[in-house]
Amino acid sequence: MQPFDYIKPQTLEEASALLLQHNGQARPFAGCTDLLIRIERGFVHPQVVVDVKDLPGVHDLLVVRNGDLRIGAAVTMNQVALNPTVQSGWPLLAEGCGSVASYQLRNRATVGGNLCNASPAADSAPALICYGASVHIFGPDGPRTLPLEAFFLGPGRTALQAGELLTAITVPFVRGSAGHFLKLGRTTIGDISLMNVAVLGWPDSDVPSGSSWRIALGSVAPTVIRAPEAERLLSQDTSPAGLEAASQAAAAAARPIDDIRATAAYRSDMVRVLTRRGVERVLEEIGG
Amino acid sequence: MRAVGSSISRVDARDKVTGAALYPGDIERPGTVWMKTLFAERVHARIRAIDTAAAEAAPGVLGVFTAADLPFNGFGLNVVDQPVLCGPGAPSAVPDADRVRWPGDRVALVVAETEAQAAAALPLIRIQWEDLPVVTGIEAARQPDAPLLHPSVGSNVLLEYHVRRGDLAAGFAQAAVIVEQTYHTGAQEHAYLQPEAGVGYIDALGRIVVEVAGQWAHKDRQQIAAALKLPEEQVVVRYPAIGGAFGGREDMSVQIVLALAVWRLHQRGIDRPIKIIWSRRESIIGHHKRHPMLARAKWGAAADGRLTAQQVDFSLDGGAYASTSTKVLGNALLAALGPYDCANQWVDGRAVYTNNVPGGAFRGFGGPQGHFIAEMQINKLAEALGMDPLELRLRNCWQEGSIQPTRSVLPAGVTIDPVLRRLRQEMAEGGDSGIAAHRPPFTVERSPFRTSLDASAPPRLRGVGLACCFKNVGFSLGFRDICHATVELYGDGEIQRAVVRHAAAEVGQGAHTVIAQVAAETLGLPVGRVELIVQDTAETGDSGSVSASRMTFMAGNAVKGAAEAALARWQDEERPAIAHFEYVPRRTTPYDHDTAESDPNITYGYCAQAAEVEVDPDTGHVHVLRVVSVNDVGAAINPQQVEGQIEGAVAQSVGWTTHENFVQQDGRVLTDQLSTYLIPTVVDVALVKPVILEYPDPQGPLGARGMAEMPFIPTAAAIVAAVHDATGVWFDEIPLTPERVWRGLQGRTD
Repeated sequence: MQPFDYIKPQTLEEASALLLQHNGQARPFAGCTDLLIRIERGFVHPQVVVDVKDLPGVHDLLVVRNGDLRIGAAVTMNQVALNPTVQSGWPLLAEGCGSVASYQLRNRATVGGNLCNASPAADSAPALICYGASVHIFGPDGPRTLPLEAFFLGPGRTALQAGELLTAITVPFVRGSAGHFLKLGRTTIGDISLMNVAVLGWPDSDVPSGSSWRIALGSVAPTVIRAPEAERLLSQDTSPAGLEAASQAAAAAARPIDDIRATAAYRSDMVRVLTRRGVERVLEEIGG
Repeated sequence: MRAVGSSISRVDARDKVTGAALYPGDIERPGTVWMKTLFAERVHARIRAIDTAAAEAAPGVLGVFTAADLPFNGFGLNVVDQPVLCGPGAPSAVPDADRVRWPGDRVALVVAETEAQAAAALPLIRIQWEDLPVVTGIEAARQPDAPLLHPSVGSNVLLEYHVRRGDLAAGFAQAAVIVEQTYHTGAQEHAYLQPEAGVGYIDALGRIVVEVAGQWAHKDRQQIAAALKLPEEQVVVRYPAIGGAFGGREDMSVQIVLALAVWRLHQRGIDRPIKIIWSRRESIIGHHKRHPMLARAKWGAAADGRLTAQQVDFSLDGGAYASTSTKVLGNALLAALGPYDCANQWVDGRAVYTNNVPGGAFRGFGGPQGHFIAEMQINKLAEALGMDPLELRLRNCWQEGSIQPTRSVLPAGVTIDPVLRRLRQEMAEGGDSGIAAHRPPFTVERSPFRTSLDASAPPRLRGVGLACCFKNVGFSLGFRDICHATVELYGDGEIQRAVVRHAAAEVGQGAHTVIAQVAAETLGLPVGRVELIVQDTAETGDSGSVSASRMTFMAGNAVKGAAEAALARWQDEERPAIAHFEYVPRRTTPYDHDTAESDPNITYGYCAQAAEVEVDPDTGHVHVLRVVSVNDVGAAINPQQVEGQIEGAVAQSVGWTTHENFVQQDGRVLTDQLSTYLIPTVVDVALVKPVILEYPDPQGPLGARGMAEMPFIPTAAAIVAAVHDATGVWFDEIPLTPERVWRGLQGRTD
């Protein structure tokens, strides 16, 4: 394994300056469950790794004044998944974070790191996108905020600029909502998602079906994507026929690839199956 | 309390639980330096030249070794065809030793002060390659114009056997139903906890000592000595704790290369212990796998279920080198016909060289592949006849005195019939742990730790299936199997302590505990008075390999013989009373090349299993809920260990059948980590009900048969039959990955 320097800055300004100074050669990290393996296998060769765990606010997991959930960049998957407030207010997010890898890894792996890796298979991302989450970024020009959907640019690529790091995630509260995260793996624990589907629904008297929806799909496109046509169809009609049409629309939104774990054809059909199952379960809970 | 038949704690349990037991990678000796291996990472190529100058000049490097450093560049368990290090320059070598034939071939070794320095020097070794055409398909390798892996052999077919008995055409003419099908089984990685590792050094007597995890210390020693052209006494192989084996440690991994580097450095006046630990990736690309198999079978049966003809043609992918392919082929040849009487039998089986990872020993040793053919065929015949599959087996299965396909009488102690009857009883009784077909769905508590979908969500389907098998115990086909043991009795009036010397490798299977129990039982002593010297070729005689389900049978007989002889000397007032015993089982004979006529095996064990599965018809997930495994083990020396073997074998076979998908593309392993090659987790494996039957084997020590392989063998066919019961679809290829099942269920009519 190639040697590297380890630095643990105490302020956001210091962290940003380090990243800027070693631009392209420095990597921020929190849990290091992904970065260390990538270094060990020679996929990345950073000269400096910047540990974010001493930065202010990165361990916050709290509900802020307007009712939103704030997740600091170094909060672990298990801290989110096992938190009673998250489980009651953002159950879809608890399911997503609780599906990542194995229990032991979830004690190290962070939501922030999961997003910054920008893997299309990131299990925390579809839930966050359904809730309309934003990411807070600190960089040479100070703080800025971005919708999560705009944060992902491609596999392993984010909107982070030189000298920028992710500091926190804000997750709006969606009143009356219910959600489910369905993950397809080859084993029942520990596997990366072959694909996954997050479904969030809530009562809405302004739409014909009486409910509004967000559906996000993982590991079937270069980034986690929404299925807007499926969402629109469900706001019109949640009868069995409407559900079938929406599930097919979700499958049509997917643009998966063949790899050694599964073919594109299988993944597309699983979007249909898992979307239907997810919507059925949410409908039972919100009384559709 | 009797020593035999008791579930005493394992003699190695305390040290392994507390961490006191040292595995090869844990051994620290002062002044240790590190070795790294340069793997070929090429599929098929000739090495024109190797330039090690830059690597030798790298910081911390003590030595770089290549083929030119080997007095004899070759090894192999049954056929010596594998270079220790591929490349030119060895004074004597196997033919075409300058070739690499799969990416896991070894090319060079670097020894340096630190592991990082050794790793840093590897890429400095410059190699002139000449790429050769690649052949990776079993069928493609058999074509007349296929590139040859071993030109000196003249063909990619390493060995072919034939069973010829009766009149096949007449048999099919008598058949009321005929089932004909193609089958395909995949490779399997052993995935033992501890990757290959070892330490080598020169001891005070000037001998080369290799501390390593293997399965047959004396055979390791012989292969090391042959490659170094040294007398065997110059080499000591010592086995510390071993982190699993399953057949995967039968071939040489780090043994010869450690000895080579130690010896060459010693000749330069450098006496430093050398340590090597393979990474998980190196382990997966670098050691052999269970042979993939391609088969075609055609069986006929009369209306009453009696088998009239069995015809099978199968090929095993032997990969780049012979490894144990010839012996695996020998086992698969008979397994492909199952434990059934039939007057007309015809099998063509072969092992084929390809540029894939070598096929070699893995629990069951050809039995799982062969029985997958046989048990799929018999289950399909039952369906075609509208007959209960267990009843069909009872109408055809071997009885005492039956003639096996090799036209010899089966060894006495044939119990597949009572084993099957016990399985029927278990299936009918149901209850908490039985399996009853067509009962209302029951609840199996699911782990709360599941994070991805399994087959439990509606609209799940359920089904039950069964299969059975035999497994030979001990080495076969004329191999002169042998097992040495020495017992020393110390004390005056009464025996204070008994020392047993034996070389059985303790790979986690409990061999050392069995040896202590048999010695204590024979001597009438508490187990606590038995001391074992069991891990050093310099201190013990050759006990043979821990493979072929042989060690309880062989060591039991050897230790019992030595203990009885020592006891006789004790009674003659010898102090200490010491006796050596060499157990030689009855002789077997090799297959006749054209007909397989022979007396092939010492004896057999028998097993039958039923599996219950859930299938998610939308996603294709298969979850094996429960397996009942009925095993005639002759006598359970340690019932808890027997149960552990049954549960472990079923879990490993559930993996082979449903999860483990070893992917090679153009000779390269794509699943080279445990994150891409998935083995079942604790929540993926079935609940297992082990059922132990004890019909004594007339040749076995205290009646015991070997048993650790057979519960692996029928699981796959039982699971596939259960999936068929659930879905109406036969899957003739394993593993049953969700996508394969999903594909198979497309167009299914409910």
